Amino acid sequence: MIEKVALHALKASDWHLEGAFDVFYSQPQIKAFTDSRHLEELYSRYKDQYVDMIMADGISVLCNDLQVDPQDIVMLVVSWHMKAATMCEFSKQEFIGGLQALGIDSLEKFRERIQFMRTELKDEQKFREIYNFAFGWAKEKGQKSLALDTAIGMWQLLFAEKQWALVDHWCQFLQARHNKAISRDTWSQLLEFAKTVDPSLSNYDAEGAWPYLIDEFVEYLNENNIIQKGQPIDWSQKR
Amino acid sequence: MVLHKFGEKLYSGLVSTMTSHLKDISKFIEAAQGGLFLEELNRKWADHNKALQMIRDILMYMDRTFIPSTHKTPVHELGLNLWRDNIIHSSKIQTRLLNTLLELVLRERNGEVINRGLMRNIIKMLMDLGSSVYQEDFEKPFLEVSADFYRVESQKFIECCDCADYLKKAERRLNEEMERVSQYLDAKSEVKITNVVEKEMIANHMLRLVHMENSGLVNMLLDDKYDDLGRMYNLFRRVPNGLSTIREVMTSHIRDTGKHLVTDPERLRDPVEFVQRLLDEKDKYDKIIGSAFNNDKTFQNALTSSFEYFINLNPRSPEFISLFVDDKLRKGLKGVSEEDVEIILDKVMMLFRYLQEKDVFEKYYKQHLAKRLLSGKTVSDDAERSLIVKLKTECGYQFTCKLEGMFTDMKTSQDTMQGFNSAHGADLGDGPTLAVTVLTTGSWPTQPSVTCNLPTEMLALCEKFRSYYLGTHTGRRLTWQTNMGTADIKATFAKGQKHELHVSTYQMCVLMLFNNADRLSYKEIEQATEIPASDLKRCMQSMACVKGKNVLRKEPMSKDIGEDDVFFVNDKFTNKLYKVKIGTVVAQKETEPEKQETRQRVEEDRKPQIEAAIVRIMKSRRVLDHNNLIAEVTKQLQSRFLANPVEIKKRIESLIERDFLERDNVDRKLYRYLA
Repeated sequence: MIEKVALHALKASDWHLEGAFDVFYSQPQIKAFTDSRHLEELYSRYKDQYVDMIMADGISVLCNDLQVDPQDIVMLVVSWHMKAATMCEFSKQEFIGGLQALGIDSLEKFRERIQFMRTELKDEQKFREIYNFAFGWAKEKGQKSLALDTAIGMWQLLFAEKQWALVDHWCQFLQARHNKAISRDTWSQLLEFAKTVDPSLSNYDAEGAWPYLIDEFVEYLNENNIIQKGQPIDWSQKR
Repeated sequence: MVLHKFGEKLYSGLVSTMTSHLKDISKFIEAAQGGLFLEELNRKWADHNKALQMIRDILMYMDRTFIPSTHKTPVHELGLNLWRDNIIHSSKIQTRLLNTLLELVLRERNGEVINRGLMRNIIKMLMDLGSSVYQEDFEKPFLEVSADFYRVESQKFIECCDCADYLKKAERRLNEEMERVSQYLDAKSEVKITNVVEKEMIANHMLRLVHMENSGLVNMLLDDKYDDLGRMYNLFRRVPNGLSTIREVMTSHIRDTGKHLVTDPERLRDPVEFVQRLLDEKDKYDKIIGSAFNNDKTFQNALTSSFEYFINLNPRSPEFISLFVDDKLRKGLKGVSEEDVEIILDKVMMLFRYLQEKDVFEKYYKQHLAKRLLSGKTVSDDAERSLIVKLKTECGYQFTCKLEGMFTDMKTSQDTMQGFNSAHGADLGDGPTLAVTVLTTGSWPTQPSVTCNLPTEMLALCEKFRSYYLGTHTGRRLTWQTNMGTADIKATFAKGQKHELHVSTYQMCVLMLFNNADRLSYKEIEQATEIPASDLKRCMQSMACVKGKNVLRKEPMSKDIGEDDVFFVNDKFTNKLYKVKIGTVVAQKETEPEKQETRQRVEEDRKPQIEAAIVRIMKSRRVLDHNNLIAEVTKQLQSRFLANPVEIKKRIESLIERDFLERDNVDRKLYRYLA
């Protein structure tokens, strides 16, 4: 049965392997292929002693089993797949439900799939989803905004994956000038900024509806002569 | 002859006869010497006309029958054409005629008297010969020569005359030319010759005239030279860009003067004088535009925009204008007639309209009004109300409803006091009298709550009032605003001098302490009254360090209040008056820290206003892009203040945070209203 599905997936994606994976894993029937008993076993392996959840310790063990560093960004992708509410913990539903949707019921399959998850980060659309997911996941429960330190940590991680030349300056700027939590809008708009505005700021539009913090960042870059452009922005014209 | 089919012969005979006759005439005329040339020409012309008349009459039959059917030129016209061809256009006459005429014009321009009648006839002759003859044989050369003449003359004048004189000369020349035309030229030439004068004398020298040192436009403006300015206006309006040149120079001059006015530290020391100077400037230019510039609307607009420009260069303008009004309403309008009061208030309103930050004015006006009302220092209640009405008309009900609330509170408090006194009057007996004004929070400028311990004599009385008031107004809360009150105290000094002292509530609390102690240190006073340090120091200073008001003596005798100072009642206190005023609560120019505080409060108040505008606009538009949203918000708030786009952006982000708005998924510059 699996072979049939595999063939179908390969045909649908024109015999491209990665695409085939997409097709394969996006099919809802996959759920049926996971052994729920195995999943329960896996869960209990990592579940916390006192609470019916997988907590930090359990996650360490999981990472060990997966031969993945707990700081590895792929764990973020795992959390995304599981729709985890908060970092460093998985509810039973999130864990089991997530694995079912992925069609994983054994560590072996899980390890295999890790490789695939790394490639998902290269996909523009998925990266954006994962990036935006990261905000809600990384912030404290009940808070609206993301603490600055956590945000900086996440940005370092995410932009190591998807290169952005200005990430270090951005983090320095925030620590020097802002020192407050990051709003969701600023978080999501930063990715757009990194994607659309080139690092020399030549195509930065002051009237471009960027969040105020980003405007301030550009000002900071200009003030400190970090940006060498052919044409400096004339700030005296900005009302 | 015509009847006998000899028309052709007759006609050609006429032509040849007349032609040869005219050739003779021509020689005759050519022979005339000097001045007689024109006269001869004139005479012969008159003769010719008479002759033509007769010939036409005689040959009338031919004129009516032969000529139309053969399409030949009619007799009269023929006669004119022959005259033209044989006399006027004869080689010996044509040039000489033109030169003679032009020379006469030149001589007249140089002041000589010429024979105008003769000129008129000759010119008329040319006109009768056909408009092209007039134009080609006279008008065109006349205009060219005139242009040269005026070019030279204007150059000469501009080197030696000042602006006013030059303009007078130009005006005179213009009038001369117009008179010339009416006297002996074709009326159609008027506009052409005036154009020449305008171009050569005015247009070509416009900038040089306007900018002439010591006599140009700016000097005329400074010296109120209405006649010269009027002349310049009338002359310049005749040429393209004339008025705009004047207007531009005037505008930049006003802006410069205005800019200096508002940034000159000397002027800024006295706010009332500052505003008076602004009003004077406005009056000056209103008068100039009225008397010299024909009330030209474009000039009035230029004046308005200049004032708007420089008044807003100084961020303290709103405060100063309010202080000016305060001064007027406090004492400046004493004894002034109702009409004049209205005039002054209208002028103030005009300055108010120029302000960009009207909300700052509102804040100061409220503060100053509060002080006026509470100290009972207003010169005329009617004047106060009149101004409120004007502000309401200008800015709407929202602007003035709180101000009106303040007036209402004053009235209501009077009624309350009446009620209180009639209810408790009997128990009060010989004790102190209390006058309370109850202020509705929100209508009055916000005051931070302060500590102050009232003397026991007052405490009981105040409590009585409080319970009386709360008895009739349940659910309200009263807080004593000790920093805003006054007191009248009767004092007897050591040598028996009696005085009535008018002091602030704080000062009253301090003075009452001396009923029970001869000597008090600053610290003791501070402890007993719990009045905040800066306020306490200020009120002590006015009682101990000011000549004529020093009811207290201080050791050491320094100007400032130190923590270790000790105070005594000043036994040697004297004052000519029985009633002595110490420390009135007068509105003053704010100190630097106060200014910062007010500015901060204004900025804080603006935030919700900006948000309300954003929400209003987004609610009705549902979806709107960033730049348009900023523009609309700015427009909506324009009547109160100039919204800062950066601040608007921050408010938008705040509203996104609070889920009032969201960015569109596809176009990140688009905002969507979330119901």
